Amino acid sequence: MAAYQLLIIGGGLSGIAAGIRAARFGLKTLILEQHNLPGGLNSYYFRQGRLLETGLHAMTNFAPAGAKQAPLNRLFRQLRLSRKQFEVHEQLGSEIRFAGRSLLFTNNIKVLEESIAAEFPGAIDRFRLLRQAIAAYNPFASAPWRSARSFLSGHLRHPLLADMLLLPLMIYGNAEEHDMDLGQFVIMFRAIFEEGFFRPGATMREFLDLLVQQFHEFGGELRYRCPVAAVETDGDRVVGVRLSSGERLTADTVLSTAGMPETMRLAGWEGDQTQYVGRMSFMETISFVPRATMASLAPDRTIIFYHHGPRLAYQRPDDLIDPTWGVICFPGNFSGLSPEDSAQIRVTNAASYLLWKGLAAGAYGVAKEQWSRAAIAASEEIIGNYCASIVYQDSFTPVTIERFTRKAQGAVYGSAIKVRDGATPWGNLFIAGTDQGYLGIVGAMLSGITIVNQHVLR
Amino acid sequence: MSREEIKDVLLEIIADIDEEADFASLDTDAPLRDQLDLDSMDFLDIVMELRKRYKLQIPEEEYPQLATLTSCIDYLEPKLQTV
Ligand SMILES: Cc1cc2nc3c(=O)[nH]c(=O)nc-3n(C[C@H](O)[C@H](O)[C@H](O)COP(=O)(O)OP(=O)(O)OC[C@H]3O[C@@H](n4cnc5c(N)ncnc54)[C@H](O)[C@@H]3O)c2cc1C
Repeated sequence: MAAYQLLIIGGGLSGIAAGIRAARFGLKTLILEQHNLPGGLNSYYFRQGRLLETGLHAMTNFAPAGAKQAPLNRLFRQLRLSRKQFEVHEQLGSEIRFAGRSLLFTNNIKVLEESIAAEFPGAIDRFRLLRQAIAAYNPFASAPWRSARSFLSGHLRHPLLADMLLLPLMIYGNAEEHDMDLGQFVIMFRAIFEEGFFRPGATMREFLDLLVQQFHEFGGELRYRCPVAAVETDGDRVVGVRLSSGERLTADTVLSTAGMPETMRLAGWEGDQTQYVGRMSFMETISFVPRATMASLAPDRTIIFYHHGPRLAYQRPDDLIDPTWGVICFPGNFSGLSPEDSAQIRVTNAASYLLWKGLAAGAYGVAKEQWSRAAIAASEEIIGNYCASIVYQDSFTPVTIERFTRKAQGAVYGSAIKVRDGATPWGNLFIAGTDQGYLGIVGAMLSGITIVNQHVLR
Repeated sequence: MSREEIKDVLLEIIADIDEEADFASLDTDAPLRDQLDLDSMDFLDIVMELRKRYKLQIPEEEYPQLATLTSCIDYLEPKLQTV
């Protein structure tokens, strides 16, 4: 008999959610995480006594507690967590600023409709028809890749509006450059525009604690600082894993959330790993300013998506980062949060992994400082000056992301090619998380759940 | 287990799955899923929970027999006789 019924590689959001499902129904389950904290791409770290979140700008898919079929509430039921007792803070309102034009949206899509009607009166009827087409589309049925751009231009016949709508959806959930699969577009449109943004109470640490506690409650085991060095196979089955310490663990089933390139490496999976290495990564520039400064900048905005150029250029930049477009997020600007002494401003810009990776140790620090200043300056053009008031600043690059999560080239959304059914050449090795295809915090958890339901619990 | 006990177990399992479940107006002969607004994932959880508690294997072809509360009890009664 194997030591475990299910071994999960990775204690990120997909891995923990998958673990909760399996443990809940009595499977002997172990999660192996290489880092010393849970969360993966969406974790936290400490600097000078401050807790910094690596990711959490906002969670997507907001839904009120009673809406039973909403993805968020299905997620809570699947994990057997109480949605009623879960504290949520909705966004105040977000904005898309694109080449001098602006659109507003909140968790009520009427606000976006009114904003489009005001900014692009000729396009509002077409936008309403687009919404109907999106509502009618089933993104979960398996379908060949279709261009979201052609779908949008067919429906809207308005390139600028199409680009403006694509900007947030791509930045928050598109692994491909330039275009996006229609199914993924529909998922993101619903997650962001139809449902919307919120934050849990407290920080990512408390949210992860809640998940890990639930996993332990059902009898699951989790080991940190346990990098898996190999998935051991025997013919068309996997038999377990070998840790970098040399320890071997046997399992009936192995679920990898480590991404396709890492999983291929671990299993000695023949094939071209490079086709699964995503090109989109980001630099995150985090600044803390006094509350009073924040109040004068953008008191009623939660997230601003900005783009200076005339046409959306969602691609790996030719420079270390591209500050001409990105995200400015104010994690303190959600409804019902009690104000803190200092407020955070987070700026996210597309970054080139290869250029960052190519820098010598000394040059890396200098470049990080220089490009953090560029990111801050670019955001100041949108929200006003705050550089002089910064009390604490930190940044991280695609290289940092890769180092802490082993996500190849720090590609936040993983491979442009997704493995929707989670299957591998081995009958009892499955893929979940980013490279299975559902992205973001809510998406990653749903991915872990779906793959366990389909392949492990049945 | 008696029919009444099986019913209590089923309601307990559903209440565990869905904190919003309202049994006050439940029609025992109408489809559970529609009345409680449950989806196929929740439904799988009922089956899984029965498997965990009573080592009951319910093949997928037989899921339709679990449509209403009464049909569930009819289906489970012989299987849970000795429990
Ligand atoms: C800067 C940033 C901001 C973001 N902001 C948001 C946001 O605001 N909202 C949102 O919804 N999403 C956001 N995301 C995206 C979100 O974080 C991810 O989509 C999600 O967390 C992916 O989860 P995952 O489980 O698929 O992958 P991961 O989090 O990558 O989990 C994989 C885990 O596997 C571990 N691992 C890898 N290799 C091994 C090995 N060999 N052995 C053992 N363990 C291994 C890694 O350490 C990691 O913990 C953001 C991401 C980043 C980087």
